Amino acid sequence: MKRHAAQPGRASGALEWRGLASTGPGRGKWKTFAEARDAELGCFLQLDPELGQDGSSDSGPLAGTPFGVKDNIAVRRFRLTCGSRMLRDFVSPYTATAVERLQKAGAVVAGKTNLDEFGMGSSTENSALRETKNPWDPRRVPGGSSGGSAAAVAAGIVPFALGSDTGGSIRQPAAFCGVYGLKPTWGSVSRFGLVAYASSLEVIGIVSKTVDTASQAFEVMRGQDPLDHSSLPWQPQPRKDGRLRIHVPRECATVPMHEDVTKAFEKTRSMLRDLGHTLEEVSFPTFEHVVSSYYVIATAEASANLARFDGVRYGHRTASSDNPEQMTLASRNEGFGDEVKLRILLGTYVLRSGFQDEYYMRAQKIRTAIRMDFEKAFAGADLVLMPVYPVPPFARGSADSDPFSQKLADIFTCSANLAGLPAMSFPASVENGLPIGMQFLAPPFAEDLLLSACRQVEEVFPSPDAPGYPAGWS
Amino acid sequence: MELDATARMARLTLTPRDLEKLGKAVEQMLRYFSHMKEIDVDGLAPTTHALLRENRVRADHNEASQADALLANAPQREERFIVVPNVL
Repeated sequence: MKRHAAQPGRASGALEWRGLASTGPGRGKWKTFAEARDAELGCFLQLDPELGQDGSSDSGPLAGTPFGVKDNIAVRRFRLTCGSRMLRDFVSPYTATAVERLQKAGAVVAGKTNLDEFGMGSSTENSALRETKNPWDPRRVPGGSSGGSAAAVAAGIVPFALGSDTGGSIRQPAAFCGVYGLKPTWGSVSRFGLVAYASSLEVIGIVSKTVDTASQAFEVMRGQDPLDHSSLPWQPQPRKDGRLRIHVPRECATVPMHEDVTKAFEKTRSMLRDLGHTLEEVSFPTFEHVVSSYYVIATAEASANLARFDGVRYGHRTASSDNPEQMTLASRNEGFGDEVKLRILLGTYVLRSGFQDEYYMRAQKIRTAIRMDFEKAFAGADLVLMPVYPVPPFARGSADSDPFSQKLADIFTCSANLAGLPAMSFPASVENGLPIGMQFLAPPFAEDLLLSACRQVEEVFPSPDAPGYPAGWS
Repeated sequence: MELDATARMARLTLTPRDLEKLGKAVEQMLRYFSHMKEIDVDGLAPTTHALLRENRVRADHNEASQADALLANAPQREERFIVVPNVL
């Protein structure tokens, strides 16, 4: 199909992706395009659709559709680096259940996408292996930690990519790149094959260019898996159509926000009212404590989960050492980057005897209060609306956002993880040439409602195209 | 915050540069965590998992061995043994 030249910031129609990664006529052109775009933007740590064909069904609703997989999710014969020197050469002997289900539906792994090391960060700059640029402005970060996935989708290399969301790692990069980000209900998608960072918080989800794509991929991926004992059976909620009651936490106003985000937030609220929905400001008393509670719990779990990297059975091992203990110490020192070391140290500290009540136990009790705030909200509302991140995509090199500010900025995203709730970010506006995202949160297993609400917004404001989109192969 | 002692427990040895850089970052986060004291948590039970209601176990049977694929990632190996420095 002949397509007119794209205008950045305007949305093009749906592209035909089926068959592209297998036998489709556009295959060669797509591959050339994908490789060239990836060379410019650094989305992938391994881009190899030929290798990806191994294991995919020839038929199915997604036959021949290429997709990206965040490089903390296992795909057999692909590397599984987690963006870390620790696992730079690790090749996965097996495939994650979520990926396997997509492969059975015909989808083809195009490659493994870049991320902040072990999923720890909001910029993808904590990757030890590659730099990823935002397709809207290469001087800016794509967000993180699933930054490679979001950039690959926004650049038009793949229609969707898998990410993991521990405190916002799918929704924030999706918002930074002007695409959709679905963080499903905790436990609704199997995590077999996801490298563990903070097990009580994280979930595998989807970054996509359209709501329908997210919906299709989610339907394939979800459901209990005997290989993940924390996975839950899918429990669909009764469909709610028509006028929605949407709560907005009053405390959002207390967060210092960039004027472009404020503007997009206002636009979204008025758009939702125009669509016939009711918006109400409601107080979330725990709001100011979510970031503390989140970082205590996430780092505590990280310190335990990352104890497995000892240089013995797999992963980086130091060149020479006199005894096993020295080998482990040196291997971990050489293998982990600063942000990972920081989180392991913090997590170890908050779990130390004598400090547990003050930090870890207290954070878990606050987590209960956060859950209760949401339970109260959903007794009177269908959805909760919040911004995704207080600032637009920031400059690379931490010039305008240091690591501490980046942690505080998780305030809008991490509560969904603490409460286990599904949430979906959607492109809400383009301000000064950069996309701004908003998000809906919903009760457990109400993904259908999230998707239909995002679809309504999409009809008014579809995912805006980054410069260079649609893809040159179309 | 006894960074050295914590680092030993975490199996990390910190260089003077790490102590300086990470020490500051850890202090900053702990100062921030101290605001949690302001919230009243009396009577609240801790949440370990938001939605996990039961513990499941899988069937106790043999599965196909992936030993060779797993061993392929070992950093140092002699045939089917993983080599480590002398323990004694």
